[in-house]
Amino acid sequence: MQDLIWTLVGFFLTLLVFTYLFGDNFFFRLASYLFVGVSAGYVAVTVIYQVILPRLILPLLQGSLAERLFVLVPLVMAALLLTKLSNQLAPLGKLPMAYLVGVGAAVAIGGAVFGTLIGQISGATRPFNVYTYGASGLFEGLLLLIGAIGTLVYFQFNTPSRQPGRTGRAAVVESLALVGQVFIGIALGAVFAGVFTASLTALMDRIQFLLTVIAQLTSG
Amino acid sequence: MRAPLWTAIAISVGLIVLLGYFIPPEMTRFAFILTLRSILIGWAVILAGVAALVGVLNLFMVHLRRMTARRDPDRYSILLVIAFLASFGLGLYLTPADPQYQKVVTAIQAPVEATLMALLVITLTFGSIRLFQRRKGLMAVVFAVSAFFFILIASGLLAPLQSLPGIGGLFEFIQRLPIAGTRGILLGIALGSLTAGLRILLGADRPFSG
Repeated sequence: MQDLIWTLVGFFLTLLVFTYLFGDNFFFRLASYLFVGVSAGYVAVTVIYQVILPRLILPLLQGSLAERLFVLVPLVMAALLLTKLSNQLAPLGKLPMAYLVGVGAAVAIGGAVFGTLIGQISGATRPFNVYTYGASGLFEGLLLLIGAIGTLVYFQFNTPSRQPGRTGRAAVVESLALVGQVFIGIALGAVFAGVFTASLTALMDRIQFLLTVIAQLTSG
Repeated sequence: MRAPLWTAIAISVGLIVLLGYFIPPEMTRFAFILTLRSILIGWAVILAGVAALVGVLNLFMVHLRRMTARRDPDRYSILLVIAFLASFGLGLYLTPADPQYQKVVTAIQAPVEATLMALLVITLTFGSIRLFQRRKGLMAVVFAVSAFFFILIASGLLAPLQSLPGIGGLFEFIQRLPIAGTRGILLGIALGSLTAGLRILLGADRPFSG
């Protein structure tokens, strides 16, 4: 019985969201507000049980003296962060914000350097190992390298030149940007195809779900 | 100088965390920096959790104000507030790991998310048609050809051709071409993050002082 209730809830929510095909309407808003409310509640509960309780409250109540002292700093900063909810007290929240921004900036730098830059640069240079990948690897590596550099150059914007018919970029840079434009088009096309295929699969799944529920209800 | 104390805190904490990336764990002489870094990151995790909670509470309060507004109260906010209180209360009582609670949340989240994803097909189709109507250029043509080719590949219609000796290799080569563009975009994002992070650690940007 319980399964039937939740299947019906899923059925009606699917129908409500599908009404968006006729534009923003009352039924779609019902589904989206319900979704946001339930998700916000779920996020709050998960944060409390996964972070606040084990890392802040439990060490404070059950931990040793050293653990309690260690937890005092984040406890004070957490209290200051909560002042962000009030317009008058909000300036008190600058200290924890500064702390979070500092740590966040350092983690972003570390992630960018060790997670992306080093990995992507080593990936771009790998095909140039002729002993492993041969001459075809060299050609492909060169093409992909030119494409990657072109993509980076495409996003370099200068101030326009005062001379009519000329941009602020040199001819070489302009040509590289044109190559980059082609490679960006190819990459975005591939991403579009991936997302389109995934959403088409989701559409088929939803239609199949609706038809299955209707078949189950009509067959009794 | 604007907010010198907060800037000093952001820079010092950030530098200690950043320094930790460059110290190998076997270097016992500087082990205290790694310990300090792990404590600082642990505190940041707690604060990030509290920040998320502040965000959710702010959402709740905004909708509470909207539904109780004297002029033109928002009737949809009533649903949001009730849904939030029910989900939050049930979650606190049962814990988020409880199978019953998981079932209730999934029964509401999964159909809405999947149907929104399904609606993306229509949005994407209309969006791509509009792109062609408004911006006819090299990028639009390459984008369309690439999207069409990769959709054909994903559909499996070209599978018989892929097994042919010469054409199969060409297909594999074309499928690797998007790597160049995505690599360029990823490098751009990484360089952007690096610059933004360094500007904060050098004190040039102070997003917390406003």
